Amino acid sequence: MAERVDFWATLTDPLIRQNPVTLQILGICSALAVTTSLATALTMSVSLTVVLTLSAVIISLIRRHIPESIRLIVQIIIVASLVIVIDQILQAYFAEISRSLSIYVSLITTNCLVLGRTEAYARHHTPLPAAVDAIGNGLGYSMILLLIGGIRELFGRGALFGWPVMPLADAGGWFTPLGLMLLAPSAFFLLGGLVWAIRSLWPDKTEAPEHTPLPRTRPAE
Amino acid sequence: MADPDWNPWRRLLALPNESRTKTILVAFMVASVCALLVSGATVLLRPIQDANRAAEEQIRIETLVSGIPGMADLLAQAGGTLSTAVIDLATGQATTAVTPDTLAAALADTSNWTALSSDADIAGLGRRPNFAQVFLLRDGADISLVLLPISGMGYGGRIDAFIALRSDMNTIAGITVTSHSETPGLGGRIEEAAWQAGFPGTELRDTAGDLRFAVARAQASSPYEVDGITGATRTGLGVTGMVRFWLGPDGYGPLIQAIERGEF
Amino acid sequence: MTDLWSLFLSAAFVDNMPLTLFLGLCTFLALSRRAESAVGLGIAMTGVLGVTVPLNWLIYQGLLAPGAWAWAGMPALDLSYLALIAFIGVIAATVQLLEMLLDRFFPAIHAAFGVFLPLLTVQCAILAGSLFMVDRGYDFGESVVFGLGSGVGFALAVVMLGAIRTRLAYADLPAGLRGLGIAFILTGIMSLGFASFAQMAMSQ
Repeated sequence: MAERVDFWATLTDPLIRQNPVTLQILGICSALAVTTSLATALTMSVSLTVVLTLSAVIISLIRRHIPESIRLIVQIIIVASLVIVIDQILQAYFAEISRSLSIYVSLITTNCLVLGRTEAYARHHTPLPAAVDAIGNGLGYSMILLLIGGIRELFGRGALFGWPVMPLADAGGWFTPLGLMLLAPSAFFLLGGLVWAIRSLWPDKTEAPEHTPLPRTRPAE
Repeated sequence: MADPDWNPWRRLLALPNESRTKTILVAFMVASVCALLVSGATVLLRPIQDANRAAEEQIRIETLVSGIPGMADLLAQAGGTLSTAVIDLATGQATTAVTPDTLAAALADTSNWTALSSDADIAGLGRRPNFAQVFLLRDGADISLVLLPISGMGYGGRIDAFIALRSDMNTIAGITVTSHSETPGLGGRIEEAAWQAGFPGTELRDTAGDLRFAVARAQASSPYEVDGITGATRTGLGVTGMVRFWLGPDGYGPLIQAIERGEF
Repeated sequence: MTDLWSLFLSAAFVDNMPLTLFLGLCTFLALSRRAESAVGLGIAMTGVLGVTVPLNWLIYQGLLAPGAWAWAGMPALDLSYLALIAFIGVIAATVQLLEMLLDRFFPAIHAAFGVFLPLLTVQCAILAGSLFMVDRGYDFGESVVFGLGSGVGFALAVVMLGAIRTRLAYADLPAGLRGLGIAFILTGIMSLGFASFAQMAMSQ
């Protein structure tokens, strides 16, 4: 008897409550590298969501017939093929963005998020719930990527999607861009800050302290 | 007892997942379907990719030439088309063996490339094609502009560009970058007009004939340098190596000498 | 470019995989909670990278690169679009093989570090090593050095983070920062430190 799947919850849970990047620690590999500009972040988000959804549907369709011994490699091959097709499409129609994404689109193949969701969800559900779950996770991932990409491009170059929002000092404006925003560490700091904010707002998502000090029995010196 | 199912497909699906037959068949089918999908997509899309690339290059060359101060008038005089030739890099002469249409096929053959020793390979290319398609803008009988395709390794991958030289074959008239994989906002600024505007007027060789061109670390401090990009030192080094290689003896050196001798 | 030593240094420090290129972060953050697991991961990464990058070079040059089939009379055949699938297959097979070899001939080592090997099949950093090798056109020697250098750089970063996080077990962090949050901030600070290596320009 099929369980009744709550589609709305499946779709919206991964947005905040079960966000793949900040809470499930999935998919950060390729995430941060493409957040130097909103255009690349958006392309990456769309590519990953498409690959995630298609692979979830395909694997869900054949889930009953995958032998255990080749399970992982079958999933990887399906994901890799989809990634190659997406990469070719990007090279054909969005050549410039494809060049700045370089190898990171290909790295969607080993993105923990894609394989994590197919292992955890798509293999055990029918195609429609699997697709909804995939879209939900893709949206959650995209939100984080676009947020960080937006902040980095805004403060690193004074622009969003290439459109100047804060006129640069070099061009006669008032904004001196923060060079750090274009370098790697800023993405880590931003993501750390984001995780901190989310976990402070939803305290049930925090991790338990690893070591609880013993209660004091003697007054301090 | 049910009758044996004669439908082979349903029999296959009914096999236990762990049976050897099913494992092999599932593996084979997944592999074939994926191979078909991937190859089909590539074969279908490759002509579009090539066409897009060719169209982009055409536009960039036209923008490059019309953007160079003083050249827009010459371009109008010459009717807006450049003459082109495929030259043999080793001799610096136009070759009849390869035409612009057959150039791509000729370069797919590895025997039409020359390997480079590590001392000579300052652009990081490993090997150099034996043929290249160059563009010449003529003012009457004299050559007023030469457009040379160049490439080299930058920080994130290969940089492809066109460099335009003035009639003295020593002053750069302009540069345009057709493809790169540099970091957007840092090395990626080599594609911006603002940075490329530093190239016109830059000289390549000093009076002794030594190649002095370089992308400076910060501000250009001599007529042979262009401003660098802050935070993109490696990209700048890549561009320096690229220009020096192609305008040196292993690149277009023989062609430049041939033009100076008036053979074009 | 062909100076192998500077290639090793740049792969390990300048282009550090987790700290500069954001590669392999999933396992980097997950396994750096304790210094012991960090050391195991580092050694496994170095071994697998050092083996798979040259191996993939052989496969690429022999079968997939444009012109690789010239000996069979098909010089225009360009199978480079299959590189991704081929590399993943090779990596999965290599990891499996390494695990079996370790188990058979060095059971003590397998008990200590072998559990990390299956994780590495789907590590972005390992695949990225091979993809960079194609992108940058390395030859065989450079592939070996690049693979080993990247692995050493990864090992260095993960061991350092593991050591710091072990100490942090006794720190009184704000609840929201515990675990993942502070790991990101720490990685960011380490990345800032490694960014200073970017000025190490390679000799022309």
